[in-house]
Amino acid sequence: MNSLGQNSDPPVINQLTCTQEFLNRCPLFSGAPAGVVGLFAYLAKREEYLKGQDILTQGKHCDRLFLILSGKVDIFQNHSGRRFHLQLLCEDSINYFGELALLAEFDWFFSARAWTDVKLLTISREAFSKVMERYPGSYQSMVQKIINLRINRFVDQQQYLMDHISSDAWREDPAQEFFL
Amino acid sequence: MKKTAKRNSVRITERSLFYWILRRHRSTQLLLLLIIVISLFFKVFPLEMQKRIINEAIYLKDIQLLYLYCGLYIGAVTVAGLLKYGINVLQVYIGQKILVEMREELYRHVLQLPLQFYRKMQPGTVISAMTAELNAIGFFLGGALAIPITSVLTFVVFIGFMFNLNKWLALLSMAIYPFELIVLPYLQKKYNTLNMERVQTTRSMANVVNEAISGIHEIHGNTSYQLEGKKLSSYIAELYRLVKKLFIVKYGIKFANNFFQSLGPFVLFLVGGYMAIHGQFTLGALVAFLSAYEKVYDPWKELIEYYQSYQDALIRYRQIMQIFDFEPPHLMLLPGRDPLALQGEISLKNVTYAVPSGVRLLENINLEIKPNEQIALVGYSGSGKSTLALLIAQLYDPSQGRIDFDKNSLEDLSKMDVGHNVAMIAQQPFIFSGTILDNLLYGVQAISGQKELPEKSVILSVIKNVGLQKDIIRFGLQAVLSIEECRPFRDKFLRMRQIIQTTLRNDFESAIEFYDVDKFLYYSSIRDNIIFGDSLSGEFTVERLPGHLRFVGVLQELKLEKPLLTLGFAIATQTVNLLANFQDDEFFFRDNPMEVSEFPVYSKLLGRLKKPQPKDEEARRLLLILALRFIPKKHSIILLPSAMEQKILQARHRFQETVVGVDIDHCKKHDACTPCSRIQKNTEKTGFIPFCPSEYLYTRTLLENILFGAVKSEEVLDEYLRKIAAEAFKDEKLLDEVMHIGLQFEVGSKGDRLSGGQKQKLAIARAFLKDVPILIMDEATASLDNTSQAGIQGLLENELKGKKTVVAVIHRLDLTPAYDRIIVLKAGRIVEQGTYDELMARKGDFYELTRAEF
Repeated sequence: MNSLGQNSDPPVINQLTCTQEFLNRCPLFSGAPAGVVGLFAYLAKREEYLKGQDILTQGKHCDRLFLILSGKVDIFQNHSGRRFHLQLLCEDSINYFGELALLAEFDWFFSARAWTDVKLLTISREAFSKVMERYPGSYQSMVQKIINLRINRFVDQQQYLMDHISSDAWREDPAQEFFL
Repeated sequence: MKKTAKRNSVRITERSLFYWILRRHRSTQLLLLLIIVISLFFKVFPLEMQKRIINEAIYLKDIQLLYLYCGLYIGAVTVAGLLKYGINVLQVYIGQKILVEMREELYRHVLQLPLQFYRKMQPGTVISAMTAELNAIGFFLGGALAIPITSVLTFVVFIGFMFNLNKWLALLSMAIYPFELIVLPYLQKKYNTLNMERVQTTRSMANVVNEAISGIHEIHGNTSYQLEGKKLSSYIAELYRLVKKLFIVKYGIKFANNFFQSLGPFVLFLVGGYMAIHGQFTLGALVAFLSAYEKVYDPWKELIEYYQSYQDALIRYRQIMQIFDFEPPHLMLLPGRDPLALQGEISLKNVTYAVPSGVRLLENINLEIKPNEQIALVGYSGSGKSTLALLIAQLYDPSQGRIDFDKNSLEDLSKMDVGHNVAMIAQQPFIFSGTILDNLLYGVQAISGQKELPEKSVILSVIKNVGLQKDIIRFGLQAVLSIEECRPFRDKFLRMRQIIQTTLRNDFESAIEFYDVDKFLYYSSIRDNIIFGDSLSGEFTVERLPGHLRFVGVLQELKLEKPLLTLGFAIATQTVNLLANFQDDEFFFRDNPMEVSEFPVYSKLLGRLKKPQPKDEEARRLLLILALRFIPKKHSIILLPSAMEQKILQARHRFQETVVGVDIDHCKKHDACTPCSRIQKNTEKTGFIPFCPSEYLYTRTLLENILFGAVKSEEVLDEYLRKIAAEAFKDEKLLDEVMHIGLQFEVGSKGDRLSGGQKQKLAIARAFLKDVPILIMDEATASLDNTSQAGIQGLLENELKGKKTVVAVIHRLDLTPAYDRIIVLKAGRIVEQGTYDELMARKGDFYELTRAEF
């Protein structure tokens, strides 16, 4: 962090640089031009949630990408009155969710809750559009990365589900009925 | 248009200018004439005294006589002056009174002109005519009788005096007047022609400006500033040319006047002096004669000026009346009876409507609508649906055929008959500047004045029915209330604050950072953190604080000034470096203490400033402003160290104690329901209100007062907490009060502070409040979202079914099943009619329309 204090005055800290360094480590932004990352760092917002608090709810309008600065986030989906845990995200593995919200408008198809006290960085769809308007050359690669990241998470979720499905549900013959 | 009632007076556009002068305020004008006649004596009397002073008092060396004649002279001059003052005041009074009546009657006439007039007329022309041009006429009106009468009488009296002194000299002095009578009218005619052109050009300019302002969003959108500028430039150049010529002629007239004026004394000095030298004329008489001659020129000059001003006023008046010379097609009210109360039956027989070019928009329409029947008009664009609606509303008149309301011909019904029985909602409703309540009651007030306004409960019920309740509540919550406005509800609002701070605290803590005297506020600005309150006079706004000596003294005492300057410098540096190329988009400045308009100032500042502790006052002021606006959790470019947070807390207490004299710790002993008299007394003395739980903050919105803290998350607040708050409001019976406050929301010019949907709902509510038997809706829900459209449709089906005749132009065919009958129009004719099921089964034009839509 850069401090801009003078002599013995308490210094003010340039938070943008910290955020920029964090974003450079994120797969979505690594390799992006410094101007793009700098703008995203400026437009990103910080959010904090206590353990157990809802971060986003299935069925509500989506509008932003979430990046985990610290803590763990539980991703789950409600289906037929049951809750299906899909992922537990933390800052040192897959540390993002809601990436598709940058590209399109839809309702969340999953929920997210703070598994522990959590600090998040969020980037809104509006901010993403505004930055891409200024850097149109980067748009294609950003979209490609977002899709890749989504697939990445999808595969991770699928693998988790498959690891936890009852063996009765596993089948070789497509004509056979499923039993969960 | 045929008239069935005889008009009592001459139509306003057919009246001459002197109609107003001779028929209005006659008694005041007679009084004026009397004063003029009396004043004549006091004008002539001093001349006689002049003669006697010289010929008698001085010649006879009689001091007593001198005193007497001088006294009488000054007395007469004073009385003449006072009478002249009275005459001038009365003239202006009469002129302006007549102007008031002229303006009001003309405006009433203009408002009743048919829509076709307004399709061809530019608003700028009407505005210019009603304002500036009538003003100029007003100044003429007051003296229209007084000036010529005074001038002629004065002229005659003085000429008589001169003849009395010496008839040959008098005749000689009048010899120049015939020349003036030839030269001046010639010049005046040229002036009149140029003046007419000037008036026309000014009107055209007004139209261009009016059009540009109306379409300013298009101009901005197309950056067509130069194009628009060129349009006006040509008129400006033309106006310049005309005014130049006009004043050349005007001053030419003045020059001619002055020249002739100078000739007179020249002749008198020459001939009169010769006569005086040869003893044929006394010195006193010569002096009196010269005085009389100078005085006789005044009324002559006034008559010349009157003539010019009369010509000017006449031209303007004729041009104005020419523009509006249309007969309103319907009377305002038929004499001898009150407006009719109709049942709502509508009948159209062989109705055809053609535009002036001859194109028929509607052809041979025959339609019977029973009272309380709900009819949908559908068809492709241009089929005549809206035209039919406008005809039924008496906004257009049919070219052929007849429309009846309850067997009364619409042609013969007055505007008030229709106004009392029909409510029309246009596709793009017009919202007048004023409050929401003003707009809601517009229709009701138009027909009943202030006499029969709906009950508050009825208004609130209509607002709820049209889906405006949430918006009104939001407006109410966003209102900043004065002490007087808040007084009836203050305790209840503070009770709401108490509920949120105690009972609902757990729910709200995730979304609100409550004001706490001992805690640093991360979601409030540095200014709010230090000042921790508001001043009713605005003494402690961010912009004024850097210059507030005592405030700066507190900062310096606690060694906080330098860190704040460093903070401001850091914000400015970061922002200028990052956003240099983004000044064209306000979005990038949303979460920044710097406003986009301030960027050039700070950019320039940083160009000469290399470190955060500048010496010059202006630089320090600018940096402190940024620092004071900084909100730690919102403006994420800088992180504030906790040591600085502690200093700011110390500054808060120090400020309260030394600058505003508040014992802020005393606040901790009081909650929202326990008033603190000490704080209240201090507020009365200093005008400062601290963020004390027991105090209402008159500089903040109602919502901010109830929440008593800064919003952390708008999303959480909107999502969950508004519902909880609304329930609490209802329990405390505050909802109606908040809505009442919301109704006072100022909608801006043409309602530009409202969204399209809000305007439309407001127009619908306005029509419903009128509570009349016939409702005409011309695609009235087109701007509403699906939910709101369904809401209005539900209202028509459930609340108004069987109670009102409804004629609705419908754009969405899925809304038609609920109507009693659907009328299908094609190329200006009715091609089908029936219920939804009947028309769908028939598989005709309506069926094809539904297929095309889906």
